[in-house]
Amino acid sequence: METLVFYGFAAMAIGSAILLVSMRNIARALFLFFIVLFSVAGLYVFALADFIAITQLLIYVGGVLVLLLFAFMLSNKELLNQLQRGVSHFFAMPVWQALLIAVSFLAILIHTAIQVGADEPAWITASKTAGTTIQPGDNTVQHIGVQVMTQYLLPFEVVSILLMMALIGAAHLTRKEETP
Amino acid sequence: MVFYITYIIVAIALFGFIALFTLFAVYSERKIAGFVQDRLGPMETGKYGSLQTLADILKLIQKEFITPSAADSILFSVAPVVIFAAVFLGFVVMPWAPGIAPAALHLGLFYGLAIVSVDAIGLLMAGWGSNNKFSLLGSMRAVAQIISYEIPAGIALIAAVMIAQTLDMQEITRQQGIMVEDERILFLGLWDVSHIGGILAWNIFQAPHLLLAYVIFFIASLAECNRAPFDIPEAESELVGGFHTEYGGLRFAFIFLAEYAMMFLVAMIGVTVFLGGWNTPLPNIGTVKLADWTTGLAWGIFWTLIKTLLVVGLQMWIRWTLPRLRADQLMALCWKVLTPLAFLCMALSGIWRVWVIVGG
Repeated sequence: METLVFYGFAAMAIGSAILLVSMRNIARALFLFFIVLFSVAGLYVFALADFIAITQLLIYVGGVLVLLLFAFMLSNKELLNQLQRGVSHFFAMPVWQALLIAVSFLAILIHTAIQVGADEPAWITASKTAGTTIQPGDNTVQHIGVQVMTQYLLPFEVVSILLMMALIGAAHLTRKEETP
Repeated sequence: MVFYITYIIVAIALFGFIALFTLFAVYSERKIAGFVQDRLGPMETGKYGSLQTLADILKLIQKEFITPSAADSILFSVAPVVIFAAVFLGFVVMPWAPGIAPAALHLGLFYGLAIVSVDAIGLLMAGWGSNNKFSLLGSMRAVAQIISYEIPAGIALIAAVMIAQTLDMQEITRQQGIMVEDERILFLGLWDVSHIGGILAWNIFQAPHLLLAYVIFFIASLAECNRAPFDIPEAESELVGGFHTEYGGLRFAFIFLAEYAMMFLVAMIGVTVFLGGWNTPLPNIGTVKLADWTTGLAWGIFWTLIKTLLVVGLQMWIRWTLPRLRADQLMALCWKVLTPLAFLCMALSGIWRVWVIVGG
């Protein structure tokens, strides 16, 4: 049953992602993006990363996607028409950069698959025998909290300062210029 | 296999409860409105108009599905389902009684907040799909408001979570009454009430600043379910009906159901996190073990319902008493008053946890 649900989510994610890039109607494509994000969040749950799954929902669906929709709805219609005309068929290659990124990403995936190969890496075997793997019922958020506040404190602080800089920058940009 | 059948039964029972609640809530809302405005409210259908909402829903079910010809038909028909599903999924983590919750997740509260924000997508879908300027403006206003008010609501909840040290809704509730195990409960940080329980052990009395946090959460939750005084998304005098202008029949019924379910959901989150959830308000006084007598499965459901319905009643009372805020006043209230106060509560919670609960 779990496997069935997993493949259901996977099929939903891939299917709607393919539909998304081939769709002309940008509004519908954005709402399809919601389905992609939702099913990827479902896949995270299968990887026992429930915190990441819920954060994905909160940040991407509740924040980023709404922002994208707002930007779409408030932008110029003429500009969008040009975008919507786009390419005529699915396998057209409008920009070579996209191909480069896609191929290199595929190469990384294949490389990892070859490296891992038939047998799992040593560190996974080691933690399996030591019994330090995460179980489905574990309180993952507590692990994350303790790790962030101890081992990863410096990266956490650096990220928070970066985010604060972004916030201050955003507040500065939206401020009205005082004309002398 | 029995496992999955139980899931389905629980889901259907919850849906039935929400539908029943909506029927009664609409009736009581109209009666409260009547009382506030010094008139009678519905009186014709049934005794004191008690069958009025039943008649309304029968009328809605019979109606034809009408899709405006200029509307985006897919988005238009999917939107009510998304709106309702987002709210309905929020009920998954709600605790009803000791040991009774559809799912006791470790991340319960966080999940509840996240899934409710999916509601915004449904609103935008409805607004864009209707292809109507009133709908679009209404949904834009609704989403701007929901996104902004999520911040004070979330931070007020974090203030309570910092005291409780867990996101599990059952665990948060257990720590506010006599069923607590490994924590000691201090009334106002001074008096150990672990075995006295009752109203003294609720989170708002464990740490006094959580009372402020609850008020912030309550105001923000009014805005999140688009209720007056924050009902500018569906302001009748400006926008006809807001994002649901074009909807009729069963689709409108679903949007309406989602709105009332949302009221119940946010009231229940507030009750669970701040007002003791299924814990009894009656304390043990000496040999009169009122708290021991009124804790249990049936009592738990009873207290949850009573408290939540009282909060819903308060929401209705406020709706018919206060005038609507202007859009800029709404944003000013959120960003200049509620958010700083919520941050203050969060900082106080940290100090309270470290110095009073652990150190005291």
